[in-house]
Amino acid sequence: MIEVSGLSKRYGDFTAVRDLSFTVGPGEVLGLVGPNGAGKTTSLRCLAGIIPATAGTCRIAGHDITADPVAAKRALAFFPDEPRLFDYLTVRQHLAFVARIYGVGDHEALAEPLLVELEIADKADQLPGELSRGMKQKLAIACGLLHSPQVMFFDEPLTGLDPLGIRRMKDSILKRAHAGAAIVLSSHLLHLLEEVCSHVLILKKGEKIADGTLADVSARFSKGEANVSLEEIFLRATGDSET
Amino acid sequence: MIGALLYLRLTSLKNLVLSRVRRLRQPKYLVGALVGAVYFYFVVFQRAVHAGRLPAAGTRHPAVLPADLLPTLVTLGALVLLVIATLSWILPDGRAGLTFTEAEIAFLFPAPVRRRTLIYYKLVNSQFAILFTAALITLLTGSWSFLGGSALYHLLGWWLILATLNLHFMGASFVITRLMDNGITPWRRRLIILGLIVLVAGVMLAWLGRDLRAPTAPGTDLATFQSTSAYLRALAGRVNAVLASGPLPWLLLPAKLVLGPFFAPNGPAFLSALGPALLVFAAHLLWVVRFEVSFEDASIAKSEKRAARVAAVREGNWRAARGALKARPGPFRLASTGRPELAFLWKNLLSTFPVFRPRTLAIGAVLIIAGYRWVARDPDYRDFLPAFTVVAFITAGYTLFLGPQLARQDLRSDLGNSDILKTYPLHGWQVVLGEMLTPIAILSGVLWLALLTLLLAFHPQSLTWLTAPVRFTLAAGLVPVLPLVCALQLLVPNAAALLFPAWVQTMRNRSERGIEVVGQRIIFLAGQLLVVALALLPAALGAGLLIFATQWLIGPVAAIAFASVAVLVILAAEVGCGLWWLGQRFEAFDLSAELRP
Ligand SMILES: Nc1ncnc2c1ncn2[C@@H]1O[C@H](COP(=O)(O)OP(=O)(O)O)[C@@H](O)[C@H]1O
Ligand SMILES: [Mg+2]
Repeated sequence: MIEVSGLSKRYGDFTAVRDLSFTVGPGEVLGLVGPNGAGKTTSLRCLAGIIPATAGTCRIAGHDITADPVAAKRALAFFPDEPRLFDYLTVRQHLAFVARIYGVGDHEALAEPLLVELEIADKADQLPGELSRGMKQKLAIACGLLHSPQVMFFDEPLTGLDPLGIRRMKDSILKRAHAGAAIVLSSHLLHLLEEVCSHVLILKKGEKIADGTLADVSARFSKGEANVSLEEIFLRATGDSET
Repeated sequence: MIGALLYLRLTSLKNLVLSRVRRLRQPKYLVGALVGAVYFYFVVFQRAVHAGRLPAAGTRHPAVLPADLLPTLVTLGALVLLVIATLSWILPDGRAGLTFTEAEIAFLFPAPVRRRTLIYYKLVNSQFAILFTAALITLLTGSWSFLGGSALYHLLGWWLILATLNLHFMGASFVITRLMDNGITPWRRRLIILGLIVLVAGVMLAWLGRDLRAPTAPGTDLATFQSTSAYLRALAGRVNAVLASGPLPWLLLPAKLVLGPFFAPNGPAFLSALGPALLVFAAHLLWVVRFEVSFEDASIAKSEKRAARVAAVREGNWRAARGALKARPGPFRLASTGRPELAFLWKNLLSTFPVFRPRTLAIGAVLIIAGYRWVARDPDYRDFLPAFTVVAFITAGYTLFLGPQLARQDLRSDLGNSDILKTYPLHGWQVVLGEMLTPIAILSGVLWLALLTLLLAFHPQSLTWLTAPVRFTLAAGLVPVLPLVCALQLLVPNAAALLFPAWVQTMRNRSERGIEVVGQRIIFLAGQLLVVALALLPAALGAGLLIFATQWLIGPVAAIAFASVAVLVILAAEVGCGLWWLGQRFEAFDLSAELRP
């Protein structure tokens, strides 16, 4: 579903992401973890076709994001860390707009259950300015899910949510994965991801230092000790370079 | 403590200046700054210098204010100040809130700082802005040489006036807060103040009535005066008489004292006026500093509101900036399938005033036709028809040339969302076209209405070739051409937004105005006009040649129709190229890179 090979992104002399390769299959959830500034957002923006990569390729559902961006983008959804909404469209109008962009026929039939699932159905006629942060994030997610994407990128989806919000968000993500979507999500908090991710990829200063299933990565960094917490693994893997 | 606060202020100022100067290392800002500097030189300094030099040139005598008119002017100025000060007691309806930034609130409010220190900080802080404003006003009013005095006196004079007013506003808001704490609602306060005003006015009228009954100078009929200066003098005399009666002089006295230094014609006069003015200033200062009320809550609320507004303005969202954001029904029914570009038209129309809807166009057309028929039917009114055409021409001209700078419901307001826009399964040119549709539609609507007016009302006798069929063909040809011309014009500011997002961003951010921003605006406007002139040239030449070559054969009407098609094709090709290129730029655009300092 997602096949990345040799992805690099340079800003001038500064290399934000270096030679990143991985694949994510249907139903898999990859956690992209690393300290602040590790290059998680940059990688996701390259994968979603928002910024061109300096080198490397990325295929989304079989379409190369550089060679055939429109087809690739039809299959993906990207959720930035800050929900990006249009201030003067109501919740319902957002969905109508997005439906037209993706050409989702009969979007009302799809939108209603989405709004109910995300618990914003009662806010359908409100503007983003009247919504709480969590609600805004849900609206952004509803917009992204409307065209039933097979590939989803979440940038820091759990940051800034309350415990219940985190629970709900995890459930939503898992539900899409069970339905066969390939998902990448980033976080700088490894322990938040353990229930959601099937795989993790640890980034540090733009370079991959470990990837594999959760169990693999734990085994590699626990050095035989039992019951090493993910947090400990994260710290060991990334060194004490948290800045 | 105040030392630390001053350090904060000065360091911020230093860093602001430094970051501005550093920005000039980027050529785009440097060019902007240079053009802005040249503009300022010609518009402001040149005028100020010019005005100062005139007497030496001796070509024209500067109108110097006769000395005996000065008191009247001072009194009138004082009256204005008094009115402003009174308004500061009537208008506010909330608690006193000093404008702090959110960062200042976060650092200063919890800090072990006394409230009074915060006030001092705020006061010192505002002096920077006041001094800057004073300097600007002094420059802009440099040609008021008739007042005498030097630029320095004017600068200091303005500063005193503005600073004292500032203190007065603050003091008034403190008193109002204290009154509210004591249970006096804003409306009761307003009633009381209005009552006081009525009382003062009544006393004055009574006084006036008594004074006027007394024998006054002859010559009440102002028309009989020989010269303007005699006229002015007599007028001043009467104004003085009115303002000098009753309690008013006492009310005006503080304001007059504050104005003294500004109106001082020479050094000694300035110095002697400075003392009393400073006394009034000091009294205000004492008032504000002594009169402690809690302003923290209101300040916090105010700064939050301001931050939200600034954020909205940065995103170019004026509707949100005005705080009048309300959910509205869509401008038209948006089907869920069809060309995706139209979704942008639908969305961006929602971001602007609800008058810009398809039905407005229909209503406008009906009104114009009805108005025309009504005017044209009556021979008495026929003479108004030229006025119709003049209005239509002016509207069309402004819409064509300034409209693209005013109607900005396109990429310029949506760049903040570019990350999301770029994940849509659309080509770059589709996004750019979709975003531009709204201003194109709005401007074309206005232009079409103007065109309709001209079609109906513009048939001057002198242009014999402009027969009815020719007019109709011309208008019909222009209907599809006008949106393309608008599109061409709009390509320029949208390209600017993509190529220099930080420019467009700074232009929106009112607190970050600078000389480079003025320069940038001029460059953009000039660029827009230049591009359009260049783009229209081939179309106009082609059309001219075609009409010239073919009208002998096929007659003017067919020739015009033929030429319109040619123009349409040329312009469409140009717009297409522009859109394609801009689409490429959009695909390569990286917001995160552009908005870094
Ligand atoms: N547009 C840009 N220009 C230059 N450097 C950038 C740009 N965007 C991000 N960076 C740098 O790239 C690095 C990775 O950033 P980012 O991907 O946002 O990290 P993360 O999301 O992991 O916290 C950071 O050091 C950041 O400063
Ligand atoms: Mg990030």
